[in-house]
Amino acid sequence: MEEAELVQRLGAYAAAQMPGAQDVAVTEIARITGGASRQTYRFTLVWTEGGEARRRGLILRRDPADSLIDTERRVEFEAYRAFHGGEVPVPEMLWLEEGDAALGSPFFVAEEIAGFQAGTGPLWTAPYLDSLPALGRRKWTILGQIARADPVALGLAAVLPATRAEDVWRRELDHWEGVLDADETEPLPVIRAAIRWLRANPPPPAQKVAVVHGDYRTGNFLYDTQGGIHGVLDWEMCHLGDPLEDLGWSFNPVWYFGQGKPGGLLAREEAIAAWEAASGLTAAPDALKWWELFACVKGQAIWVSSAKTWQDGANRDPILVYPAWALINAQDRAALTVMGHL
Amino acid sequence: MTPAVSQVLADLAGRVARNAAPNIPPADRAGELGLSALLLGLAAEMWDGAAEILVQENADLRQLLAAGATIWGEESRRRWLEALAQGRDESLRLSALQAANGELKVALIALHAELERRKDSAAKALEAEVWRALVAGAGRRRLSGSPI
Repeated sequence: MEEAELVQRLGAYAAAQMPGAQDVAVTEIARITGGASRQTYRFTLVWTEGGEARRRGLILRRDPADSLIDTERRVEFEAYRAFHGGEVPVPEMLWLEEGDAALGSPFFVAEEIAGFQAGTGPLWTAPYLDSLPALGRRKWTILGQIARADPVALGLAAVLPATRAEDVWRRELDHWEGVLDADETEPLPVIRAAIRWLRANPPPPAQKVAVVHGDYRTGNFLYDTQGGIHGVLDWEMCHLGDPLEDLGWSFNPVWYFGQGKPGGLLAREEAIAAWEAASGLTAAPDALKWWELFACVKGQAIWVSSAKTWQDGANRDPILVYPAWALINAQDRAALTVMGHL
Repeated sequence: MTPAVSQVLADLAGRVARNAAPNIPPADRAGELGLSALLLGLAAEMWDGAAEILVQENADLRQLLAAGATIWGEESRRRWLEALAQGRDESLRLSALQAANGELKVALIALHAELERRKDSAAKALEAEVWRALVAGAGRRRLSGSPI
């Protein structure tokens, strides 16, 4: 869809959602590059209400033709909505559209939290360098708060598939091994060995069935120069599961960004301490190791899916090539490290 | 190297040409060209060593499979490993080397699982060799900007 048509159709859609508003229009629309699972646009909505001119910065997240991650956009929308207004900072969700009629594919619209960084590019340069430890403590404190949250009280137990504490590891491993089986374009001896180890050494039952963000890493939150976090983003893989899954994913060495420590931010022990203090849970080393190795399997499944999607020709966005080329071998090295061979 | 470098370069050529048109929104152009530049840099780094890495890895894998054939008791499996171990890289085209690499890795995964299952010292010694080869292979493929 051409940009002019998108602007027109999005404006018409917004007007229909705002019965008290007149002269509703979309302006200043710009695509935010980098998203491989959704197309993301920043735009300003202008309208008149009660004789007063108004404007608001908003975000449009629209499904592309073939997403890197197959997810229900309702899951992402409801996860944001559940946490909004609480201690976990997230943008406010406005509208969810699951059909194709309005914009040609499903989408949602949310408030824009402006004035902060999301990408990792500037993080290890001035003026962010001095605040990295504080940012790290904040990052793992928020992750602990997500783990502590009650999925029933949040209303997410009604949206996300139910699971039992003793089953979560098998369900997740089955799912991501299935993705590898379906999508790998070349054999992966390291990751297949990791899967055999995971099945032979299952973790203990989860301490609780918690909300799992599913992609909690540096780069998926909005941060400032003082170590503050103003919005946790990218909830499309949110599910119920073992809270150690998120901690293990955050420790995936591919998210070290060459800085030699988790998230490129904080020593592992400090990160665990912040998470345990905020969650009220314990990160038992053996259980955490299982989930760290699982994170390597999950990561590899996502990277090979990216390669497959591009290879099949369904979506030739160059962003799909980057993880395949830059991360598949790095993920192997990460798995070798977690297994103690590197 | 999947997707293949040659395919990606052909696609990037088309993108660069399209972005030369004057009517492309600047933010879209910046995004596409920035990503294209990133991939061209990765391709440049991978391209020069790609054949050597595959030739070396295929040789290592054939050695492991040959050793595996001497200790795997099941006849059909032993013959499978022997046949693969006797192969040679006749063509130095990346697609041919990659195809052979895929066949060898399928066999390596099967051999590795068998070695893990067994408790005898010969199997354990060869399992250690498999791990060393996997570490070496991941080291050879490491890019300069790798996060780990």
